[in-house]
Amino acid sequence: MSNAEQNLNFERIVRPHFDRLYRLAWRLTGNKAEAEDLFQELLVKAYGLLDDLVAIEEPGSWLSRVMYNLFVDQHRRYTRQRMHLVDEGHLPGAGLADLAGDLDPVTDIERLENLMRLDAALGQLSEEHRLIVLLHDTEGYKLKEIQDITGVPVGTIKSRLHRARARLRDILSPDGTFS
Amino acid sequence: MHCKDLTEKLDDYMDGGLDQATAEAIASHAGTCETCRAVIERARELRGLLGDYPVPQAQAGFYDRALVRATHKGGRRQRNRWLLSGFGSAVAAGLAAWVIFGLLPDVPQTPDALASIPGVTIALEEERTINLVFASATALDGATLTLSLPDGIELAGFPGQREITWTTSLKAGRNLLPLTLVALTPTGGELIAHLQHNERNRTFRLRVDVS
Repeated sequence: MSNAEQNLNFERIVRPHFDRLYRLAWRLTGNKAEAEDLFQELLVKAYGLLDDLVAIEEPGSWLSRVMYNLFVDQHRRYTRQRMHLVDEGHLPGAGLADLAGDLDPVTDIERLENLMRLDAALGQLSEEHRLIVLLHDTEGYKLKEIQDITGVPVGTIKSRLHRARARLRDILSPDGTFS
Repeated sequence: MHCKDLTEKLDDYMDGGLDQATAEAIASHAGTCETCRAVIERARELRGLLGDYPVPQAQAGFYDRALVRATHKGGRRQRNRWLLSGFGSAVAAGLAAWVIFGLLPDVPQTPDALASIPGVTIALEEERTINLVFASATALDGATLTLSLPDGIELAGFPGQREITWTTSLKAGRNLLPLTLVALTPTGGELIAHLQHNERNRTFRLRVDVS
């Protein structure tokens, strides 16, 4: 197979999963720069494993798992360090900075404020809880899919999800109301 | 059905993971119990917020560029970094503190936000890199950034200068400004970053303590 054919074959396998993988990268890293780095690192690694990739029945799940492992290996230490040193939850809008392009702050202040509050609340969760709740409740991953990606048993995921939701409700509505 | 049962089954109820009889029992109980009705409503609101939590689309051409980089020899590229011009040399290896300033336009700063000035602690006579991240909703070309340093704190490479001004451009999103500070006295104080773009001004404060 020529290089050109090999490249086309690679693209044929991976491109259908790009949007989902890009969103996963965002959920893992929380910002555009690291999401793009992680996405790029995944493609580089996957291309190097093309012989394996062509034989995989569900390349989307495989790619998601590889991305997660890359994140754990290369990003987690950095992220923990940063989150420890920067209390982003205390800085209004900090975590939403990269989302600015999707918002219309002039006409949609209320939505923006709600998202900022959610962003700050998510910032108070542990990394494990934040990721689980984002994958399940925001991205719509099923528990089994999250298990396949993270290697965490479904029972543990369910427990984390329960605690994460309860904590978010407490943070967002200590008096029983959201507004 | 009791209130405690509903609390325990709330997640499964919201996820549609209960058998029909149990789900109906919960709905029936919530119909007569104001507290549990409010609990379910809060859970629904949270789910709505989470479902609305956005991720920006990838920029046009990003996927194509990523593919090309991956499939060409030496595909690894330099990692993403936003460096405000003029301070590239201030990047230092090692542990750095990060402080994020939001520039979301037209959102007034709340009294709480104004009161909670972020802070860092640096050691006396040791260089420490502080990464200031300016998060802007829109690109700001030709912005003027002025740094005012407290007494006894210097910016590495700018000895004796208390105020440093330069013109730069901010991209939409996060813009990183690494500052390598050194404390010459144990006093500490407030570092002030003043950003001006056209007729708009924004002042950011960072408390610098010296240990």
